[in-house]
Amino acid sequence: MNIKITHQWLLDYLNTDATPDEIQKYLSLSGPSIERIKPFGDDLIYDIEIISNRIDTASVIGIAQEAVAILPRFNKKAQLKINPFEKYRFSNINTQPKENLDVMINQPNLCSRFTAIILDYVEITSSPEFIKHRLQAAGIKIINNVVDISNYLMITLGQPVHIFDFDQIKGRKMIMREAKKGEKIITLDGNEVILNGGDIVIEDGEGRLIDLCGIMGGLNSSVTNKTKRILLFVQTYNKEKIRRTVMTTAVRTVAATYFEKGLDEERVEPTLVYGVELLEKYAKARPISQVFDIYPNPYIPKKIETTFDFINQKIGLDINKKTIISILSDLNFKPKVKENKIMVEVPFYRKYDLSIPEDMVEEIARIYGYNNLPNRLSPPALVLQPEEYDQLFNLSLKIKYFLKHLGLNEVINYSMISKEMIEEWGLEIKNHLRIKNMISKEIEYLRISLLPSLYKNIKDNQGRREVLKFFEVAKVYLPKKDDLPEEIYRLGIAVNTDYFDLKGIVEALISEMHIDNLNFQIIERNSIYLVEIDLGQFIKKYRVLPKYTPINPYALIKLDKTFNLSKELTFEKIINKARQSPLFQKLEAIDLYKNRLTVRFYFSSTQRNITEEEVKKELEKI
Amino acid sequence: MDLKQLKNEFLGTLKKINNLNQLAEIRLKYLSRNGLINKFFSKIKDLPLNERKTFGQQINEFKKEIENQIKEKEEIIKNIQQDHFFDPTLPGKQYPKGGLHPLTYTIEEIVNIFQKLGFVRISYPEVEWEYFAFEALNMPKGHPARDDFETFFVDFPENKKFGKMVLSPHTSSGQNREMRRVKPPIRMINIAKTYRPNWDTTHTPMFHQFEGLCIDKNINITHLKGTIDFFVKNFFGKERTIRLRPAHFQFTEPSFEIDVSCGLCQGRGEIGSQKCKVCKSGWLELAGAGLVHPNVLKAGGIDPNEYSGWAFGFGPERCMMMKEGMEINDIRILYSGDIRFLEQF
Repeated sequence: MNIKITHQWLLDYLNTDATPDEIQKYLSLSGPSIERIKPFGDDLIYDIEIISNRIDTASVIGIAQEAVAILPRFNKKAQLKINPFEKYRFSNINTQPKENLDVMINQPNLCSRFTAIILDYVEITSSPEFIKHRLQAAGIKIINNVVDISNYLMITLGQPVHIFDFDQIKGRKMIMREAKKGEKIITLDGNEVILNGGDIVIEDGEGRLIDLCGIMGGLNSSVTNKTKRILLFVQTYNKEKIRRTVMTTAVRTVAATYFEKGLDEERVEPTLVYGVELLEKYAKARPISQVFDIYPNPYIPKKIETTFDFINQKIGLDINKKTIISILSDLNFKPKVKENKIMVEVPFYRKYDLSIPEDMVEEIARIYGYNNLPNRLSPPALVLQPEEYDQLFNLSLKIKYFLKHLGLNEVINYSMISKEMIEEWGLEIKNHLRIKNMISKEIEYLRISLLPSLYKNIKDNQGRREVLKFFEVAKVYLPKKDDLPEEIYRLGIAVNTDYFDLKGIVEALISEMHIDNLNFQIIERNSIYLVEIDLGQFIKKYRVLPKYTPINPYALIKLDKTFNLSKELTFEKIINKARQSPLFQKLEAIDLYKNRLTVRFYFSSTQRNITEEEVKKELEKI
Repeated sequence: MDLKQLKNEFLGTLKKINNLNQLAEIRLKYLSRNGLINKFFSKIKDLPLNERKTFGQQINEFKKEIENQIKEKEEIIKNIQQDHFFDPTLPGKQYPKGGLHPLTYTIEEIVNIFQKLGFVRISYPEVEWEYFAFEALNMPKGHPARDDFETFFVDFPENKKFGKMVLSPHTSSGQNREMRRVKPPIRMINIAKTYRPNWDTTHTPMFHQFEGLCIDKNINITHLKGTIDFFVKNFFGKERTIRLRPAHFQFTEPSFEIDVSCGLCQGRGEIGSQKCKVCKSGWLELAGAGLVHPNVLKAGGIDPNEYSGWAFGFGPERCMMMKEGMEINDIRILYSGDIRFLEQF
């Protein structure tokens, strides 16, 4: 989440001698990242990335608070000009209550704090220039003074606000409840939203839905040019429910982005009070009700205890006590020290992100400055790699490079494939694990074979290149009963050339791995040839060096013979027969014309020189 | 041998000759001081006087003919050699050139760097139980990462102890597995496929992650910083620097985002007076990291009072593109199997 605020806006709350560039640099190192600074009229815009658990910093006051803690470490002055959390209290509001609102909250887990106040005599006009300027900088659309004030409050104090047309809340009654599945609401942008159930909504006295809470108000109760009486509405909601609604309805608003992170409840009071002040000033509104405040569990400050030793041990540096205490004070943690111990009080706006001593380590380390910590390598330790992984990674890399040098291209495919691919390949759907929440039918089932993907690779590339040769080394996922699937590494190869090309590739690989014998089966499908082998087979049989045979000093005699190949007389049979000869060394298929195969046989003895006559006799046996 | 025979022999030999060396040899054989022609001249004195003159003339004619023939042949050979011009700038014999997926090279390089530091590479299940993917990483039920917009769930009966079956959304699931496998000291890297339900120009439902885990006595932030700095200088270049920024992850405390200085603008954030298009004010986001959360250590059966550790995780895809300055507008090309992409590596 990013927010945009202007430099002048920040200076409303912050007193500092740091330049905008310094503010950017120092805050980014120790707190929220100011990703960019952009000129905007005679002002500047800071584009700030908010850390996901620091929603308290997603506001002008939040950034000012961070600056107060961070800038002094860089020898810059920084104090709050105004602390709105202390300044704006309910007691400031001057009201003559004459209107009432009947509020019912059906479940306690929907809303941790509910506040509202009714105001009358509203004049809808356009906003003052500074509000318009700042909202434009923040990237928020300008509507009218009342709506703009609600948005201005959100960015200033970090608490989203909604304003209803009070006269459109029928029966002056609000029932906050969970939506039922299929319920509909037309939100103020005019769109109809169909709810999935479980969303937080408000129903008025006539049973109409008037608010999709935390996301967007209803059109039926929105502020218009005719609005006279309004309800200023400031709440904190159950963050999981807000997030769920955003996901299921796909309606994402800035307000929802705040609420789904989980806001503290103490911020509600100053926001409502400051809101009344702005509405009085810029919309001529006057409060005509009490403040409605339903807040069952007020914040009791959390305490964390730790030691100076613990902090320095985790940081890896001896930061002196004085520095640590001053950092904690600048963060408003009210540290109390007793010898080696430190006790801090977590301010309300950090209630959700701080709870253990390690959190204190982070706070001190970041404000002290990560850039002030030295770089050290981790201390050496002898850790042995399990042999099976060692072989797996080494060998798969060897295989990959070898196939690359033979002219093949490595491909990485998704581990998931479609139902069509499985069926087309003749595999059974039920033998595959299925993804329940798949986002596309193309990636619904976990592969139990690499071949359907490789086959598709060749098909997809047809016409792009004449010769296509792909391989992949990847896991397949073989389902097991009541357990995680077996994940097995496989090598798959696919070519669009011919059977003997692929066979040659595999044989060359086997020979490169110094393996004597390894079974594999080539599959043909529409003139595409494929093979798949468990990597485990290579790991089991691989030899770093092939077996050495002493150099034979005796004569090697070669003789050619031609055979008519048939079912009865295959090359394999010829080899097997030849192997029976004690003088046989090796053979080569040197020429094939139709079914006539010429084979060159090599014979020799390790004991003596043999004669051609002897060899001829041996050959006759074959 | 008489002159006629010698003549035939000469003509026969000359016919077969096709280079200047052989021609020089034949010239030597016939015309040199000890050549065959001179041998005939020396035979003159053995003849009767009346025959000497004619024989001498015959030899002389033959000698001239040889000289002419050789000269002629020389011209021919020279001409032929010009037709057969040898061009050393022609390309060599073409050998097959395949390619590896670009990530394979990147992963290989990453692994080599960490091996120097004594880290071992392990592989853990990609199809995992919720317990290892979340609970053991301090992400209790209800955490946003656990809903089905962030994680793929497998249609399989729930395990009583470990929960639902998921496609691991991060390599961090291996942290607890490693702690179960061995006791500290731990120095592990794990590079694996990970899965999340996003599919657009900047996301693929399957991608890679690279996890580092170090657990020992007295491990602190400076060790994490030093290790990442070592990696960055070895992988991206000596001149690159890192910075740590505060961040939030459930399984580390403190947590950081690690940035590396931009290689294009040398960390200045601008080139000339133009803003650098690649980075954010001179920095590129590289990884998430932090000290291992005490709850994660506890879940792995390690006493957080005795041991501490650091962990980091980043995307090899991003590292690859950042290092090579690859302009990939649509990340999906990486897993498309398109030969026009793959054959370039």
